[in-house]
Amino acid sequence: MERERTTAFSEACNAGEPAVAPDGKGDPFAWFASMLPNCLEYAKAAKAEGRPIVGITCEYTPRELIVAAGAVPVCLCGGSADTIPTAERDLPANLCPLVKSTYGYHAEKGNPLLEMADLLVVETTCDGKKKMYELMAESRPVHLLELPQKAEDDAAFEHWAGELRALVAVLAEKLGGSPSQDGIESAIRAMNRERSLRRDLAALMQSDAPPLTGRQLLDCRSIIAGVPVALEQYERTLDMLRAGEARGEMNSGVRVLMTGVPIVRGAERVVDIVEGAGGLVVCMENCTGVKPILDDVAEGTPDPMHAIAEKYFALPCSVMTPNERRQTTLRQLAEEYRPQCVIELIWQACLTYDVESFFIRRLAEEELGIPYLRIETDYSPSDSARIETRVQALFETVRGRSVAETRRG
Amino acid sequence: MICAGIDAGSRTTKIALMGDGDEVLLASAVGEPGACTATQAEELFEKTVAQHQVDRDRIGRVVATGYGRAALQMADTTVTEITCHARGVQFLEPRAATVVEIGGQDSKIILLDGNGGVRDFVMNDRCAAGTGRFLEMVAERLDVGAVGLGELAAGSQKPATINPTCAVFAETEIIGLLSAGAKPQDVAAGVQETVATRMATLAVGRAERPVVFAGGVALIPGMASALSRALACQVEVASAPQLTGAIGAALIACREA
Ligand code: SF4
Ligand code: SF4
Repeated sequence: MERERTTAFSEACNAGEPAVAPDGKGDPFAWFASMLPNCLEYAKAAKAEGRPIVGITCEYTPRELIVAAGAVPVCLCGGSADTIPTAERDLPANLCPLVKSTYGYHAEKGNPLLEMADLLVVETTCDGKKKMYELMAESRPVHLLELPQKAEDDAAFEHWAGELRALVAVLAEKLGGSPSQDGIESAIRAMNRERSLRRDLAALMQSDAPPLTGRQLLDCRSIIAGVPVALEQYERTLDMLRAGEARGEMNSGVRVLMTGVPIVRGAERVVDIVEGAGGLVVCMENCTGVKPILDDVAEGTPDPMHAIAEKYFALPCSVMTPNERRQTTLRQLAEEYRPQCVIELIWQACLTYDVESFFIRRLAEEELGIPYLRIETDYSPSDSARIETRVQALFETVRGRSVAETRRG
Repeated sequence: MICAGIDAGSRTTKIALMGDGDEVLLASAVGEPGACTATQAEELFEKTVAQHQVDRDRIGRVVATGYGRAALQMADTTVTEITCHARGVQFLEPRAATVVEIGGQDSKIILLDGNGGVRDFVMNDRCAAGTGRFLEMVAERLDVGAVGLGELAAGSQKPATINPTCAVFAETEIIGLLSAGAKPQDVAAGVQETVATRMATLAVGRAERPVVFAGGVALIPGMASALSRALACQVEVASAPQLTGAIGAALIACREA
């Protein structure tokens, strides 16, 4: 039983053999390929030094406050189909696979990082997650931040800022680490550094012939925020790719802007289908792409708590209403990355992104003037051939249009 | 030169041969229904070529489409059935604005761009509820063929109500209806309505007139009128509904040659 329980995570861990020592020498892509085992090692070492582990599952969670409290923020989002049957014993089948997979790890005790966690910090985002946390809280320490959902409302923002102040107190009480103003400021700088490196990596895709693929970019991520070795790896990857670009190493294909739900480790199937069918995912607007790294936290302000609250509250997730900012971001990204089509990924039963797809389709077709394809699926591969056909047809349309335009022009 | 299109569907293979200069349909064939293999598709192709005394050497280019397109060794390229149906329907019915295509495994709504291409499309997801396979399944249960299903449905005064969202639920419902004494003709008509409703849901009010109905299911009596009711507009059956994909593939082969 013990073996079975850890399968999904250990499989994910074994997906990339650690080709580099955790000190990060060697091919940086290899470090990211072994990111899970590397992060696990890092967390174990931190824990042994007495640093608490804090599990997080969303981009609204202010990493800075956790880091400033001396703890390690670890993302626990599930990307494995294998844990879903266990989750469905307690949860309805008709629920987002991201929620089910995450819960499945919890129920199977299958994610060593979750098992190590001293506290989970979560938010009231979508109903699926929110109610799932209640089940997790039966057996684990969970602190819930109430995320108000009127994105443009001052009182809503004030409430959020209050929730973050309360979080500082909770971290002090539960983990014993009361962050100083200076500690918060230095965490802000560290997280900004990480965001800016990831932004630079993403920006390489703005090129007409980018030196990496969308899938490679997606893999260049760490599930623990602020790991010093990871920061080094981002830098080395950037250097390597810029040198590669200078040597003329490049990728091509139909330029795709992906949007919608997050694509966590293990759930990259649709990205692979898109790039396998002749596409190049030049930008992912979602939470595992650029959405959380576009804005930094203001540095050196008299009230860093306020600066943190502002940055996170501005995140354009579909749980917000209205969520105009997401469209503003997409317009901006379309200008910078020059996509030829928009593909929106919706996890089955993700109501908020599903409903919002109405606006995104309209934006793509009427404003940006490019074709839009909506793909609704879950973690099981049974519809891969069908998704592939739709993506291929989309690309045929895009190519057909550009031929027609060349002729006209 | 002659160009060929092979539509290797999930239930039948369709072949079209066209002259590339004048884009005239020289020969066509529709295979026997059943699970299709690449070998069967290639055999049908050779048979068609022989039967119509087409000079094998003049066949310049072969485009494969459909569910099994990737498995056809003899094809020069593959193109999706969405692009091919759009092309084929616009060749047969130049005025068409929308194609409703119901095939064996999947169904689609294609909005046309008026130049032979696709403006937008939607396709069914995993569920078989709006497909030929579903109709076939019900026909088997009622002990009639797919065409027989249509004939049976014609005699219905009061089509049964069947949930359109899931093929598996629908089958359970049908068994329930029959054992509760529902008339087979009402079940048959109900199933047709269900498939049509499912297509209308897929179209979400975006189907523009004229709507052309293609795919093997268009040949089943009563389906076109069920679809017309569901979409609230007159639906025309394509002049060779089973062949639109193969014709489109052959036309694309002509263009690429
Ligand atoms: S999509 Fe929304 S709920 Fe999901 S991680 Fe991002 S911000 Fe959180
Ligand atoms: S994808 Fe949607 S349903 Fe799933 S966790 Fe994120 S917001 Fe919730």
